[in-house]
Amino acid sequence: MNLYEFEGRELLEKHGIIIPVGEVVRRGDNIADVYRKLGLEEVVVKAQVLSGKRGKSNGIRFCNSLEEVEKAIDEIFNMSIRGQYVSSILLTEKINIESENYLSITYDTNKKQPVLVFSSEGGVDIEDVVDEKIMRISLDIRNNTFPLVGGAGGGSFFLDLNTQSKFNMIGEEFLETAENLWQCFLTEDTRVLEINPLVKTTSGEIMALDAKVALDDDAFYRHNKEAQVRDKEKGIEPMTITDWDLFESRTMLGRRATEREIAVQEIDKGEKYYQGTAGKYIELEGDIAVLFSGGGASIANMDALYQVGLKPANYTEYSGNPPQEKVFELSKIVLSKPNLKGLWIVGGVANFTDIAATFAGIVQAIDELKPNFPIVVRRAGPNDKEGIKMLEECAKRNNLQIKIFGKETSMSETAQVLAEMISNN
Amino acid sequence: MSILINKNTKVLVQGITGNEGEKAAKAMLDYGTNVIGGVRPGKGGEEVLGKPVFNTVAEAVAQFPDITTTAIYVPPFSAKTAIVEAIEAGISQINTIIERVPIRDTAYCLAAAKEKNIQIIGPSSLGYISPGIGRIGVVGGPKAQADEIFTPGSIGIISRSGGMTNEVSWQVRKAGLGQSTAVHVGGDLLMGTTYADLLKLFEKDSETKAVIIFGEHGGSYEFEIVDLIKNKEYTKPLAIYIGGKFASTLPEGMNIGHAGAIVERGKGAVEKAKALAEVGVMIADRYEDLVTLIKPYF
Repeated sequence: MNLYEFEGRELLEKHGIIIPVGEVVRRGDNIADVYRKLGLEEVVVKAQVLSGKRGKSNGIRFCNSLEEVEKAIDEIFNMSIRGQYVSSILLTEKINIESENYLSITYDTNKKQPVLVFSSEGGVDIEDVVDEKIMRISLDIRNNTFPLVGGAGGGSFFLDLNTQSKFNMIGEEFLETAENLWQCFLTEDTRVLEINPLVKTTSGEIMALDAKVALDDDAFYRHNKEAQVRDKEKGIEPMTITDWDLFESRTMLGRRATEREIAVQEIDKGEKYYQGTAGKYIELEGDIAVLFSGGGASIANMDALYQVGLKPANYTEYSGNPPQEKVFELSKIVLSKPNLKGLWIVGGVANFTDIAATFAGIVQAIDELKPNFPIVVRRAGPNDKEGIKMLEECAKRNNLQIKIFGKETSMSETAQVLAEMISNN
Repeated sequence: MSILINKNTKVLVQGITGNEGEKAAKAMLDYGTNVIGGVRPGKGGEEVLGKPVFNTVAEAVAQFPDITTTAIYVPPFSAKTAIVEAIEAGISQINTIIERVPIRDTAYCLAAAKEKNIQIIGPSSLGYISPGIGRIGVVGGPKAQADEIFTPGSIGIISRSGGMTNEVSWQVRKAGLGQSTAVHVGGDLLMGTTYADLLKLFEKDSETKAVIIFGEHGGSYEFEIVDLIKNKEYTKPLAIYIGGKFASTLPEGMNIGHAGAIVERGKGAVEKAKALAEVGVMIADRYEDLVTLIKPYF
């Protein structure tokens, strides 16, 4: 899950990194109250979106009066930044900057360990900075002590001389922030922590003027109320755990979740045994409903669909042998999108997913909604004969335009079949 | 000969008393894999499928010192403990079947394993299969289906996806060819065993004549292949499909942002395909084309 700047910077502050004074404004808030509460004349008005490059999209404004702030907020709430909905706006103090730098920690997939990246060229896209100006230092996730330069700080050590000289190049004034960022990375289960720019103010303070944070969704179980209770039982101060459940809901698309997307999220909340089987639904702009099985197959099939000139109405994948009820609920939601032109139910040769049971869920949804557009099915795996027979009977009683394939036909070939059925329709 | 398993390999199943663990143990035994027993703290002395259950990996190793392989089926919150236990017991190949392991725990285990020269396959791996020799996990599904899809042959298969390990293997079989070993490396950001690691093993394997890979967008593991080929550490024919071309059509918010981008500067799907093609790797536009590309070599 990606965080908005206002959430990310609070996480940084919790770990001792200095951030500018600020207040969040939401739609309907009394702006004059917020501006007065801030008590500053000059403020920066920043659109809160999950994409970068908002400065270039005019999502950051500098204002000198309440009137200017009100005008800027009104404009920003009515714009979409690189296709993204503006959820809220952050007002912060204006900082007098001496230098802009870049600092981040993320995972290096080659070393399979975290890597700290620093550059004295901050405030611009890091992709645009020449390689010589970028410092990369590999860290070891097992060492929560930071290899401080000069051995300052108890228990600090160096991995090697090369690492030591790299740290020297960062400059001593940024080391405390780097160490705080490392502690934040370790305790908050983040995948990405990026401060750009990390500034030195004219009064010599080191301050984070932005925060880009991606949390590790797989670590959710240790960042909620239950985790706080578990820690309390172990005698650890529970306030040290950030409750991720308190973050407002968002989609990876950086827009508000649609009704159908929310409905899919609700499916898993009902019955415990549904959980652990995937069931994703992302609404897209096309008109072909899809029900994919398996993560890898779904990626290949999205490509195949575009290759034959069709556009998906959604991205939906179920896997891990989900029960019939879950597939039924999911299928109903997928089929409920208006103006569909076709349905593609496709998956590879399953290892252990019960094809009959999952198809029973799809059949149930088709019986209820009786789609009148072309349908193409391709699937194989345990109990596939039984599943396909069930689907054929369903097709007969509902007069469906349907073509059903097993493993003798490849998945991409059936995308072409669907395209032909639709163009002949 | 096979790259990861032979007829004598002794396999332990951690979490054998759980649903998934027992199902996998049965699938392995059905296929002829030598599963010697399992581990479940507090259930030592019990039996599952007629095989002994131990309280710890160390206890199992004390009784069967030649266990070289473990397959782990425990919940994600126990993953780190179970993997570290196997590392400390000195098991040389750890198959991490567990999905949704926090990346911090994965990184910890990979660092600890590396120090001891221990091979971790996964996390989120379904396992692998060497037709006619044995399998780890449930790759291929029920024995009858596995026999339909897999037959001993000379194509090595590597896949980021469990389902596609089967599907691609089936395309190979349909073309009248067989597989030497098909490995599901798992779809996580951090991979214990990478494409390059396996290609080095396939290179040494006299049975394997060519390799096909089902890859996905994200990560920079494909660039390790480029270096491997440049250094002549892998010389056999290789075809690769990289899924996720559609991802570039999604809104920007789907991308993780700059910090990820800098580690992989200039390493998008397009650059990956280009760099691989330059060193002679055959690029498939559709996954079905993998076998079409490799067929002329047989």
